[in-house]
Amino acid sequence: MDEWKHLEELEEVNEYDDEALDSQKKRLLLVSGILFCFVALILFRFWSLQIHKGAEYSKRADTNRVRVREVVAPRGNILDRKGRELVTNRPSFNVVLVREDSNDIDELLRKLSRIVDEDISVFWKRIREAEKRPRHIPVRLKEDVDWKTLAYLENHNQELPGIRIEVLPARVYHFGDMASHTIGYLGEISRRELEKQDTSVYRGGDLVGKMGLESLREADLRGEKGLSFSEVNARGFEQQLLKSIEPLPGNEIHLTIDSDLQRVAEEVMMSADKSGAVVAMEVKTGRLLALVSTPPLHLEDFVGGISHAKWQDLLDNPRHPFVHKAVQGSYPPASTYKLITALAGLAKGVIDENTVIYCPGYYVFGNRRYRCWKHSGHGAVSLQRALSESCDVYFYQVGQRVGVDTLADYARKFGLGEPTGVELEHEKSGLVPTKKWKKERDGVRWQDGETLSVAIGQSYNQTTPLQICQLTAMLANGGKRYLPQLIEQVVNPDGEVIGQFKPVLVDELNEDPRYLQLIRQGMVEVIQGKQGTGRIVRIEGLTMGGKTGTAQVVRVAQYKDMKEEDIPYQFRDHAWFTAYAPAEDPEIAVTVLVEHGLHGSSGAGPVAKAVMQQYFGERLPPIIPVAERKK
Amino acid sequence: MFRVDRRFLTSFDWGLLLLLLLVSGMALFNLYSASYPPKPWGMPPYVRQAYFFLGGGLGILCLISFDYKELHSWNYPIFVLMALSLVAVLFFGDSAGGSQRWINLGFFRLQPSEPAKLVLVVALASYYGRKEAPDGYTLQELLPPVGLTLVPCALIMLQPDLGTALMFVIIFVSMTVFARPRIFTYLTLGAMGSGAGVLAWFFLLKDYQKRRIETLLNPGHDPNGAGYQIEQSKIAIGSGGKLGKGYLEGTQGHLHFLPERHTDFAFAVWAEEWGFFGTVFFIGVYFLMLFWGLHVAMTARDRFGVFLAFGVVMLIFWQAVINLLMILGLLPVVGIPLPLVSYGGSSLLTTLLALGILMNVRMRRFQGERTLD
Repeated sequence: MDEWKHLEELEEVNEYDDEALDSQKKRLLLVSGILFCFVALILFRFWSLQIHKGAEYSKRADTNRVRVREVVAPRGNILDRKGRELVTNRPSFNVVLVREDSNDIDELLRKLSRIVDEDISVFWKRIREAEKRPRHIPVRLKEDVDWKTLAYLENHNQELPGIRIEVLPARVYHFGDMASHTIGYLGEISRRELEKQDTSVYRGGDLVGKMGLESLREADLRGEKGLSFSEVNARGFEQQLLKSIEPLPGNEIHLTIDSDLQRVAEEVMMSADKSGAVVAMEVKTGRLLALVSTPPLHLEDFVGGISHAKWQDLLDNPRHPFVHKAVQGSYPPASTYKLITALAGLAKGVIDENTVIYCPGYYVFGNRRYRCWKHSGHGAVSLQRALSESCDVYFYQVGQRVGVDTLADYARKFGLGEPTGVELEHEKSGLVPTKKWKKERDGVRWQDGETLSVAIGQSYNQTTPLQICQLTAMLANGGKRYLPQLIEQVVNPDGEVIGQFKPVLVDELNEDPRYLQLIRQGMVEVIQGKQGTGRIVRIEGLTMGGKTGTAQVVRVAQYKDMKEEDIPYQFRDHAWFTAYAPAEDPEIAVTVLVEHGLHGSSGAGPVAKAVMQQYFGERLPPIIPVAERKK
Repeated sequence: MFRVDRRFLTSFDWGLLLLLLLVSGMALFNLYSASYPPKPWGMPPYVRQAYFFLGGGLGILCLISFDYKELHSWNYPIFVLMALSLVAVLFFGDSAGGSQRWINLGFFRLQPSEPAKLVLVVALASYYGRKEAPDGYTLQELLPPVGLTLVPCALIMLQPDLGTALMFVIIFVSMTVFARPRIFTYLTLGAMGSGAGVLAWFFLLKDYQKRRIETLLNPGHDPNGAGYQIEQSKIAIGSGGKLGKGYLEGTQGHLHFLPERHTDFAFAVWAEEWGFFGTVFFIGVYFLMLFWGLHVAMTARDRFGVFLAFGVVMLIFWQAVINLLMILGLLPVVGIPLPLVSYGGSSLLTTLLALGILMNVRMRRFQGERTLD
């Protein structure tokens, strides 16, 4: 106990009696205050980061760890009017490079170059293009590798760090190159397109339609990309999938095209190596049942990007495979134009069904002799014969009587000189010459002699095959101009029809039906008449109306007397044939143009005939072999 | 020794021990998360750290078993031993990251600069404790402490480890200011110190060290470069928000965005997972322990005890403040650990021994000098 007392005394001595220690105690209190200020500063900073700016930093933490990736949507299928699949998707395997996973890109590319047989400079070019994108975003090096390469890459992935396989939907063309110009192809989005487009929809490397309906119906076909959110660590390795939004496939597009008809038309054209166009249209609706341009594009070449060599070949090809000749090709309408001249003559009263004009094989106007194609002459011709035998002299005179501007008025009533409005790009409007037009273009007065040439469809006249088909349909249906259309219906992924074909009446001819009737009679004679220029197309059991045409390409004296086969290809005449059927109640109009096909009847006629046969197929009487018929 | 057995229990600083156990428990708990998921090989850091806690606990028991006054006589031999180990590390030390800091002892790599801090505290406390100066210290009287500081400081600069070397200066300044030099001494030392600082910037600092200081002034400038660590640490802390992401749920830490997450930036892991409230609690307990230490200094028996306790508190306090300001983006990344919280045996053992000295001072506050003779 004594000890305790002693200690208490000591404590007093230590704590209170020593002045030096006392002053130090005061200093310690002061120090505590200073130190407390530091603690307060630290706590304030924690408050500022965690409470005041907490939400902002939360977001930044999420940006750090959550990687959002786009999942490409399967593109909408393209079907024909009977529901047959023309274009669908298949998985394609692309070789991609994730730069952040590779430490020796140069060596890697050298290896890959040997495996996929591609020049290393191609890889470097693509890597440079993607330089600004984050390093975890894959750069596509080679598209659509085959199974063998794929298997090799999968087996050797340990030796190729950073090389991955990306699976993307690619187009499959079930009917080969059928309707290739109308369907179009896909390609990687270009920088310029990317700048134009909504940035939320497209990214570099996306595939977009580059031509035809793939391009025009891009918005329908592309669908909506899906998103996958995954958690990544600081090195960019994915840890887990957090959430994913499935992509929404594109809408399905059903064409008005009938693949049977289209195929027949293409086969007939191609089997005879004809380049040109075929148009088949429903006369009472404007539905396009076939729209052919040959030579076709080889669509498979465009899957995964077309090679430069193949691209250059296409550009250099003298038959212009890139041109959709049915809408982008413009040709003098030649004798098919006589249908317009006839209507103009009838409507203006310069001729009637009884008017007879004598054709000696030429017509003298001014101090020039305008020849009929039949040098021996047709003799006395009425409108019927003039049409069925395509007498030039008759129409020279009709044209001369009504004048070029009246001809142009009637041509325009049929829609010539303007695009039909079909849903295809770069449609040509053709050309309908007038006096004013020539004055404005050349500054020269119209020569009356030129009217004669215009009246038979030569001279400045230019039309597209689609325009001639529309003209034929108008004559057949009594003068209604329907918009040519390609889309039967658009169906969304849920199966709902979101767009349905409806005929669109653009314009109507207000002409006496009797005149049209007269012209149709003439057209029927073209095919059914004994001397008809189109009798070669005649189909037993089917009455058709039609018109042939032979469009001069050049008027070169040196070829005039040559045999047709000896004239160089590029100087041969274009062949037209346009027809409708059945004559009693027309359903379909078919127009064929064969570039440098020489004669309307022999060059283009058989194609039209094949299409008609296919269309009417079962409705035609069975073909009885000749041997049996003799019995 | 057995004579004071009963008082051993009554005068022992149970409050300080309780605070220490609380902080240590939270620190180990946090270290588990900061090194999660465990690597497939080797001993996980939290287990190693737990062993060091036990070792440090034994060290504390040894330290409190004798009167701290004894340290007066051991002071200089220990100081020489410390200086020799700092020399040795320059010749035989293991290096990492371009600096040679560790002596490999087989079972653990000792970083001599850590205990050296405590040795300096004891040496300075011993000097100031013995040498009273009622009118303030003269420049001449301050020469020995300056020398005691510059020896380890220079040796550590040679490693080089600028952050730790700076700690010695800070300890010296804190204790010397507390010891109260004369105004003239202040001015002279201040002028010399700032002169040395300017020279250091141009001749001593390595480029990467300058860059760290520069990025601190402009941190958003280059998020993937030198400012990356600070930015990621701020994101970790800030994204913790009010209540935190939950234990083991911190994304910045576990996805490796946070650098040095179990060493220098360990507390950012705590802040991310426990939020502002958890942070306030931890900081509260942590600094309560240090203010408790200041109270120990206030109630110390003699001048040596006061300086000893004060030096120990300064040693821990400034490391903690520098580390926290660093992870908060207010100071450059200098590699100062948060005592008790950051993984690292040398730092932990040193801190525990320092706290042991604090307990020793506290325990013997009632004992007259004569009682133990």
